[in-house]
Amino acid sequence: MRLSTLAAPLALVLAMSLTACGSDDADPPSSSQGATQDGDTVAVTVTREGDEFTPNGERVELGVDQTLVLTIESDEAGELHVHSTPEQEIAYDAGTSEHELVIDRPGVVEVESHEPDVVLLQLEVR
Amino acid sequence: MTGLSVGGSISAHGLGGAKDLPIPSELAIAGAVAALVISFTVLAIAWREPRYDAATSGRPAPEWLDRLVSSPGLAITGRVFGMVVFLYVGAAAVLGKDSLINPFLGTFYVLLWVGLVPASLLLGPFFKAISPARTISMLFAKISGVPAGEGLRPYPERLGYWPAAVGLFAFVWLELVYPSSTALGPVRLWCAAYLGIMLIGSAVWGTTFLARADPFEVYSSLVAKLSIWGRREPFETVAGRPPQGKGQLVLRSPLANLDTVVARPGLVAVVGVLFGSTAFDSFRESTPWLKLVQSLSASRILPDTVALIAFSAGVAIVLTIATMATGVTSDTPRRALPSLFAHSVVPIIVGYIVAHYLTYLVEYGQRTLVQLSDPFSRGDNYLGTADLQINYWLSEHPTFLAVTKVVAVALGHVVGVVAAHDRAIRLLPRRHQLTGQLPLLVAMVGFTVGGLYLLFAA
Repeated sequence: MRLSTLAAPLALVLAMSLTACGSDDADPPSSSQGATQDGDTVAVTVTREGDEFTPNGERVELGVDQTLVLTIESDEAGELHVHSTPEQEIAYDAGTSEHELVIDRPGVVEVESHEPDVVLLQLEVR
Repeated sequence: MTGLSVGGSISAHGLGGAKDLPIPSELAIAGAVAALVISFTVLAIAWREPRYDAATSGRPAPEWLDRLVSSPGLAITGRVFGMVVFLYVGAAAVLGKDSLINPFLGTFYVLLWVGLVPASLLLGPFFKAISPARTISMLFAKISGVPAGEGLRPYPERLGYWPAAVGLFAFVWLELVYPSSTALGPVRLWCAAYLGIMLIGSAVWGTTFLARADPFEVYSSLVAKLSIWGRREPFETVAGRPPQGKGQLVLRSPLANLDTVVARPGLVAVVGVLFGSTAFDSFRESTPWLKLVQSLSASRILPDTVALIAFSAGVAIVLTIATMATGVTSDTPRRALPSLFAHSVVPIIVGYIVAHYLTYLVEYGQRTLVQLSDPFSRGDNYLGTADLQINYWLSEHPTFLAVTKVVAVALGHVVGVVAAHDRAIRLLPRRHQLTGQLPLLVAMVGFTVGGLYLLFAA
């Protein structure tokens, strides 16, 4: 057998896959449970009671350059780290506060609290 | 982990910011179908006589090329390059600040660990040529008058690659499980322990120890078997001693070169750790696992360690069972088969590593180049790279990226299946050649499809 014989089915399958995936770029980002879509923004509420956070590692779909409105209800002041490139930080006070977050590049971005280390959200930005 | 340090926060989950998007389901399915079709095409139509033989395969390189590649000048250049980088980054590790902009971390996790894969694919056994541990041990041998490459006693052959498997596991545990993997102190300690063990080991067992126990050298030399660079040994090497003379430089197809991997004890474990840990890296960021470990009251070190062991051991066990489930001749004992077939998993690993770490290498690699200009976090620009703009083209084109990943995985699968087929028709008795290959084929499809599934679901 020559390798070219082998290349044919491979090329065929890959060609099929290339045509198959050309169409999925236009899908509008949809929000998953817990996140609500309101016009051009996605809203998520984060609560903190002591060291207890909700949500726990939830996936949220977000568009590139779309605004995520983060409502933080907390009983103490703290900081969230947004592991985008470059990283962003969100400082919040005790009580309820609202923060806006925009990611300008596709990827999966974790929103994390440190001390204790908890990943609250995984933003699927596309 | 103590809050923030100057110039960047310590991340709790490794280096790097955004991760790649999952690959689209259509692509994952297409890749899986490709893996199946390729596998059975190879089985059905591939050659029936073994083609690859280390003693005859490849064509001799032109004399000038052999002279250049074997020249002391090139060898010294490689050693000097390795030592300069080692001392420069070592200075950043010892004198620099405990911050994510310290280039030590990026050099260690990205340029060294991920970068050695493309470097070895292109250049052959790259890390062996620059390894600071090897350079220092050669210098020690020279000073103390020990014959080059020899230690106090011969390296025990039955240890094989087991020390490297342990070293590789220690590395991936540090990178993927240990929560302070991006704090300077622990990583520095790991490197110091690594260097100490390599130097003592090479003093006792000679440079053979480095070829069997240095996790980076073993990894790099294994990947280098997929490059076109090979050497034809002039004669059999004496067990436990380094070969006398280097042999002739030959250019081989990657498949023929891969066939020259020497099966030694522990090779299956090395392959298991390399593939299992990469799969675990996808798995640990998947939503179900993340939710599970975060809902436990204890730290995630224990469940992550257990999962990392399970993935690594799982790959090794599947490979062992799949290669042993065949009829054999009396020449090749059944328990020798897993090591003799382990080389065929290497291309699958490389394909999956490309899929998993491409963006990381390209984008965090650029960031590390920028940081290397400022090793002490003072705003210096020693190398003139401090103002380099990082190019994010790759992550801005997720469809291209996803297709590249699936192509890499499928290509790795083709090479792996062909390599396994050639080995099967050499080793297995004629009446078991077709049926004897099937379990391994199924295992390889499982590895590839599992890898694609993790790329899709993570």
